[in-house]
Formats: sequence, structure tokens, C-alpha cells
Amino acid sequence: MNNMLRDNLDLAFKNIRERLSRSILTLLGIAIGIMAIVSLIAIGEGMNVAVTEELSSLSDTILVNVGDGFSIFSIGSVKESGEYLTERDISDIERIPGVKEVTTQLTGKGILQYRNSNVSVTLTGMDSETMKLQHFSENLESGSLLQENDRNKIVIGAKIAHDYFDTEITVGERVKINGNKFIVAGIFEKQGISGVISTDDIVLLLPRDFEEIIGEKNIYSATVTVYDINTVESIALEIERTINENHGEDDFASTTTVSSILKSIQRVLDIIQTVLVAIASIALVVASVGIMNTMLTSVMERTREIGIMKAIGATNKDVMILFILEGMLLSIVGGVIGTLLGIFGSKGLIAALTSTVLSHNVDLQPVVSLISVVLAVGVSMIVGVLSSLYPAWKAAKMSPIEAVRYE
Amino acid sequence: MDITKVIVTKDICKTYGSGPLRVEALKKVNLVVNKGDYISIIGPSGSGKSTLLNLIGCLDTPTSGKLYIEGIDVSTLKENQLAKIRRDKIGFIFQKYNLIPTLTAIENVALAMGFAGVERKKRIARAEELLELVGLSHRLHHKPSELSGGEQQRVAIARALANNPSIILGDEPTGNVDTSSGNIIMEILEDINKKGNTVIVVTHDPTIAKRAKRMIRIQDGVVREQHVEG
Repeated sequence: MNNMLRDNLDLAFKNIRERLSRSILTLLGIAIGIMAIVSLIAIGEGMNVAVTEELSSLSDTILVNVGDGFSIFSIGSVKESGEYLTERDISDIERIPGVKEVTTQLTGKGILQYRNSNVSVTLTGMDSETMKLQHFSENLESGSLLQENDRNKIVIGAKIAHDYFDTEITVGERVKINGNKFIVAGIFEKQGISGVISTDDIVLLLPRDFEEIIGEKNIYSATVTVYDINTVESIALEIERTINENHGEDDFASTTTVSSILKSIQRVLDIIQTVLVAIASIALVVASVGIMNTMLTSVMERTREIGIMKAIGATNKDVMILFILEGMLLSIVGGVIGTLLGIFGSKGLIAALTSTVLSHNVDLQPVVSLISVVLAVGVSMIVGVLSSLYPAWKAAKMSPIEAVRYE
Repeated sequence: MDITKVIVTKDICKTYGSGPLRVEALKKVNLVVNKGDYISIIGPSGSGKSTLLNLIGCLDTPTSGKLYIEGIDVSTLKENQLAKIRRDKIGFIFQKYNLIPTLTAIENVALAMGFAGVERKKRIARAEELLELVGLSHRLHHKPSELSGGEQQRVAIARALANNPSIILGDEPTGNVDTSSGNIIMEILEDINKKGNTVIVVTHDPTIAKRAKRMIRIQDGVVREQHVEG
């Protein structure tokens, strides 16, 4: 029957053209469903890539916190009792084989002076890498985070910038902390009450500056880098054990690796994506009902034609193939159009998202993989075949004599 | 079974409906058609002549009785096997041409060969040949809507001949065309008959009927052989 394929395709094309507006509406249904799925997958993949890129450079990193540790939504809380990691803890960590470098994050009280008003604030000292890591999820309303070689620069929370003083502080302005001059390099967006530690009241500065104005080190967390990425998890456990032993508590400190953060983010993204694609699939189900409807109408209208074909020797199989091919063709064309719309649509959607919800510094690009394209077209083909099975069967079952008599 | 007897019917009956609505369209029809016969079936409308032709053409199955086409008992065959008999052994010509409206003349003729699995190139070549035979070589790529009734019927004849069937059946083949087109159509059918094909034509036109070698009259579902004059 292979040599009939071209003729069957030809015939299917002709029949689709014959009922052009109806065919277009039908394949539009498929196109919309496929578009929704393709664009959602592309955006989901894009998010995954963006997060992975952002964090994978830090995959050799372990965060050590006093207290409960780090989750996607918060950094570890400073223990109420005011307990900190000690110099001994830090030197013990440095001695663990495989540890490359340990940097510390410091905390202390300071007086912030701006235009002759004074406010007491909590200062947080950390190096630029840690800053990038711990505050990747918060956005800056203006300015930027600190760079490694910056001196006498700070990043402040929205409340400090907008509420603490009579005049609002903007990026580039000079303030004093404990009498030392600083320039405001960045201001966090207002965060509200999400997260355990809000960035609204934060004053971030580099460790060097911190030590200069505070004098003592109150280490509330440490950032550890290792030589071999594969040892990250085991070293993290070792650190936790060592510090807890030093302080004689089971859960004095906790560690978090970037890869575990990444995994939990990816898990959340996967769930969101699955739910979204499942919802989008409903559109595909509706579209397949549309195909079935169109094909059934087509079978009805072509009762006579089917009768003629059977009268001149078409078997049930011949007739079925013809109608299935037609349904398949409709849905493949719809699927291809939907895929193209999905690729462009996801770009548009991301452009719309970045101009509204997302901040501009998030580099989000839709990722359309070959697999998702093949899958989309494949799925539409299957939908086409499945939804034309019943109409095709109905056509094949027609008795030639009744079909020929049909007016 | 003698192979020269291409069609044999044994007591075939065809009834429609049931109970008080039961209609006996054919009553115990016995008929033997020999190879190369040229038969016309006449009778008033509703007499059962089309029913008989549809049974012989394997478009329909008898309610009872046996029907043999080239020695094969088709009354017991399944739908798909009947389709193959229709495809390989029978060429059917309808009163209303019944061409596929979306296909051109040549595609209509080639389609029938497609079902028989003939290679595409050969199909096209033979379709062209057949259309030339019925005098339509200048109309190969016209759609049915662009052809006259007579031309459409000639395409239908070419299609009926496509798979080289031994039996050609015509159900009022001249019923929808003017007299001169009707004449051309009958001449083509007679030519085909001269080449050895068995031709059976249902008609209500006595002048058409008289052209045949044998004439069969059906009345109320009963068949009677009639003498052909001249």
C-alpha cells in the first residue's frame, strides 16, 4: 500500500483545502495547545538554565550558619542568644582536608549618620562572592552589590534608604558609619516580611571595612570553598560535626551546599512546570475533540465519496488510512505552527515578564530544545491519529450501496 | 463450475425491511451470464433491476441464495473480500457518474488502480491511455465540475476499466446524458464487449436495451429472458 501514500496525502491535502476555513480553525485549536505547551516548557527550561548558571559557579561552596541554615527564601537566623562562630571554629574548618578557603560573614552594631541625623543599625560584613550568593534572590531597586576591590562602600535596605531619615538616601550619596565615610553603592528593593532576615534594615559592607570600624569579629556565618566539587557534601557534614562538637550542641550550626540549594530550586521549578504543562494539555484535549468533530462532519459530508471509493474497490483499511492521514495532516500542520508560535511566544512572554514582574537584571532566555520540538510535533501527530480513529472507523464501516445512494 | 459462466445466480432473493413493511425486491432469481455476454436489463422503476445489478456488482449481498462471480461464491464473503472482488473483477458505471469531485479526470481513473496497488507511474500512464480510449485525452486534468455529463460518464467508464475487470456493469449509464452522448457511451461499451468483456446494462430506454445481445426483463422481482429482435 506504500505506493498509495503519496496519492492518499494528495487526496488528504485536497480535502483539507476544499474545506479551508474549517481546516484552519481546527488546526488553530491544535496550534494553540501546542503553543502553550512549547512556550511553557521553553520558559521553564530557561528559568532552570538561568538559576543553574547563576549558581553553578558557586558549586564548590558551602555555607556555614549558626542556627537553622539556609533555604531558598531566607538566610540563616542569627541566634537570639547572640552566639557566634569562634576563631577556633574557623581554624578547625580550615584544617579539614580539601577545604580551599574560608571567608566569614560578620555582624555588629553601628551608628549610621546621614545629614546630621543618627540611627543605630546592624552592620553585616561579607565578601563580594558571599554577597552575590546570599542575596541572589533579592533585587536591587538601584545601584549594585559590592565588588571585591570596593572600599568604603555599602549596600542598604529599602527602609533605611526611605524611612529612617527625613531625606531619602539615594545611590551615590555619602553617609557615615561610626564616623567613617561611606558611599551608598546599592539599595535593596522593599522586601516586607518575607524571609527570616529581611533586607529592609540591612547595611552590607565588605569585611575589611567592617573590621576597621567595629574592631571585633562577630562571625554569624562562614563561606567555605573546596578544591573538589565532588567532596562538597562530605566536607559539609564534616564541618557541621566539628562545630557542633566545639560548642557541645547537636545543632549549633548547620551547613548548606549550593548544589542542594540548586536541587531544591530545580525541584520547585519542575513542579511548577509540570502543573503548567498539565493545564496547557487541557487545550490539547479540547483541540483533539475539535479534530474529531471536524473529521466526523467531513465523513458525513463525504458519505457519497466514501461510497464511491468502496464501490470501485477501496477496502475498509484504505478508507480508514485516508481519513486518519487527513486528521494527522491537520494536526501536524497545527503542531508545527503551534511550535513556531510557542518559540516566538515564549520570547514575547519573557519580554513581557521582564518588563513587569521580573527585574531587568535577571537574564532569562527561553530554551527550546530539539527534544521538545520533536515531542510537540509527535504529540500533535498522535493526537491527530487518535482523534480521527473514530471518524475513520465510521467512514470505513459505511455500506457502499447506502453511501452511493446518499444524496 | 465452468469458467465461461462468469455470473451465476441460484435462487437469490433480496428483501428489505421486516414485518408488514417487508419488501421483496428480488424473488428467487436464477441467471447465468456467459463470458463475453452483452445483456440489457429492463423493467419499470421499482421492479428490482438496480437491486439485481448491485448484487452482481457486490455492492450489496443477497438475503438468500447463492451468487457466483467467476466461480467464487460471493454471497458468503466478508466486506473486505467483497471490496477486492469489486476492485479486480467488476467495473461499475453509475447513472450519476459518481466521480470524486476533488480529483481531476486522470486522478479519478488512477485512484481505482491505487486501491489495487498498481505503481504510481504505471497508474498515471494507464489512466491516460484509458481516457484516450474514451476520447478524453484533451480533458485529463479537468475536474468533474468542468466536464459535461457525457464527458463525466466517459471518465467513469475509463475508471471502470482501470483494473481490467472482466465484468462491466452500467446502471442507467445514459440516463443523465443527451442522446448523442448516450450513443457515444453505448458505442464505447459495445467496443469493450467486442474485446471480450462481459457487459450488463440496466436501462429503461428500449432503444438502448435492444442494442444488447440478450435482454432480461424484470417485473416485481421476477426475471424473464426476452427475445432480442433483429
